[in-house]
Amino acid sequence: MLRYVAKRIANYCVMLFVAITMTYFLASAFMDPRSNYMSRNPRPPMDSINHALDNANINDQTPVITRYVRWLTGVVTRWDWGKAPDQSSVGEAIVSRMGASLQLVTLATVLSIVIGVSIGVYTAIRQYKWQDRVLNSIATFIFVIPPAVLAVAVVFFAIEVNTVAGSRLFYVTGLHSYQGENFGLWFLDFLQHLILPTISMTLGGAVGYHLTQRTYLLDEMNADYVRTARAKGLTLNQAIRRHALRNSLIPTAQSVAFSIAGVFTGATVTESVFAINGLGRYFVTTIGQNDINGTVAIAAFSGVCTLVGALLADIVAAWLDPRIRLN
Amino acid sequence: MAEQEEKTESIKRTGRFTLYARRFMRRPSAVAGLVILLLLVLWATFGGMLTHWNYEDLDFASLGVPPNSDHYFGTTDGGGDLYAMVVRGLGRSLTIAFLSSILSTFIAAVYGVGIAYFEGLTEKVGMWVLDMLLVVPSTLLVAILVRSAGGTSGWLWLTIGLTIFGWVGLARVLRTITMSIRERDYVRAAKFMGVRPFTVILRHLIPNLGSVLVINTVLGVVSTVSAETTLSFLGLGIKAPDTSLGTILNEGQSVIVTQPWVLAIPAAVLIILAFSVQMIGDGLRDAIDPYSRSAGKAA
Repeated sequence: MLRYVAKRIANYCVMLFVAITMTYFLASAFMDPRSNYMSRNPRPPMDSINHALDNANINDQTPVITRYVRWLTGVVTRWDWGKAPDQSSVGEAIVSRMGASLQLVTLATVLSIVIGVSIGVYTAIRQYKWQDRVLNSIATFIFVIPPAVLAVAVVFFAIEVNTVAGSRLFYVTGLHSYQGENFGLWFLDFLQHLILPTISMTLGGAVGYHLTQRTYLLDEMNADYVRTARAKGLTLNQAIRRHALRNSLIPTAQSVAFSIAGVFTGATVTESVFAINGLGRYFVTTIGQNDINGTVAIAAFSGVCTLVGALLADIVAAWLDPRIRLN
Repeated sequence: MAEQEEKTESIKRTGRFTLYARRFMRRPSAVAGLVILLLLVLWATFGGMLTHWNYEDLDFASLGVPPNSDHYFGTTDGGGDLYAMVVRGLGRSLTIAFLSSILSTFIAAVYGVGIAYFEGLTEKVGMWVLDMLLVVPSTLLVAILVRSAGGTSGWLWLTIGLTIFGWVGLARVLRTITMSIRERDYVRAAKFMGVRPFTVILRHLIPNLGSVLVINTVLGVVSTVSAETTLSFLGLGIKAPDTSLGTILNEGQSVIVTQPWVLAIPAAVLIILAFSVQMIGDGLRDAIDPYSRSAGKAA
């Protein structure tokens, strides 16, 4: 088991390195920080533009290989992820935004998994009954709606509710607005901010878990060993609970582990709609500002998240399924 | 006995595609989806002729007016005619979604089937590359690619971006399916007869994946529309002077209270579009593979 995990980690490290290098060259080729300065009015003198770009190591007149080596040395030796075109540090920007992302995403992820998997199991057991049909139609409907439309629709209804209620029940921007010391009020205020983004993210997430869990369980329910269990005299419910359900949770557990990948950058749309200063929004900012180093750092960060998720998924699978472990 | 044989000869055989079409037509939701999609395509192509406004024109005499007889869908804050913009945006979204979905299915088929056919080291390296491409979220890579593109060529770059970073997941699926097909006798026969690998892939392997490819192309349209909308909504996709449904949504977001129609109309069009394609996809899957239990499964 330990050797298996070690091999995986080594493989993932190489993968991460290649992916980040690719992103660095892609970003260097397609993003043009010089244009930030050239479009200014009055245009700063060439020397100072070059000086600013050199200082951030994003000058397009330096060969890209030189820039890459310099950047890589900085990352490896000093853990310095470089500077944005406005000379602010990229690493600090990411660290300062992680908290907001974590606050936003944790609850939504947990709720999506719990709600989605329960509905999936419920509908699979009642396949083709009216509960299954109704829930499935709703889920398919939500599933095809682009996330941006979903988030905006939630805002729309919240504003209607606020208008009808005559007071601000829901806040549609930010995560905090309470300034005082009282923890109870602070927490209430936090919830008032959190509830809308959480709803919009949970809707999308839960639907995914529902549809996949339903399929997995249906696949298992038709397997031979469930029929054997039934033939031994177990009721359908017992057979499902003791045999089919456990096996159908293996792929779900893997996708739960994988969901770590989306934890930080999966909320981009939600963060922009609700004006929450998290990593997703930072990603939009870096692209908009031609911030090569910032973009690569975000790519690296989400790459690490993806691979940690993949590693967890491997471990979970090996732990739950002896066939993999013995291989 | 001989009589019976003659009888079977004279009976007209039902072809595979006739069968698919018949099964597809039997499902009301699939037919409804197809009709809606065709109407949308017609509307996106010819709808612009129903109004004298152009999507780029600004009507300074009516800023942010609700829907009326001149501006069917009202106007935006800046005086753009929302009807013309939605028609144009729908056309853009449809073009990008269909082009990119077809192209990425093609790349995924050639790559996924290819690495599975050659087996051994090629397959290992090929899978490693696929996994590597999944490490960094594709949204980010597409956004980088589209960043420097101007307003008019932006949609082309977006299509390219969504294609070259959108085929990876499907390629993995296709490789898994091919692993069982490559063991079939006719593939082996072709191989040992000395048919060139590329010919085997194109002539024997990919046609056998036809159903999977068709279904995935159709369902891929839904996810591409979603991706395109998301990027444009974030301001990273289609940019002015061009417009797409996501771009209009972004504009509508800031006037959600005062001019809700700017938001509601493109949102409704997007939902109708995605839902109709999804119904077609589900119908196709049931028509081609009636034993599949995965109705409603994620694409």
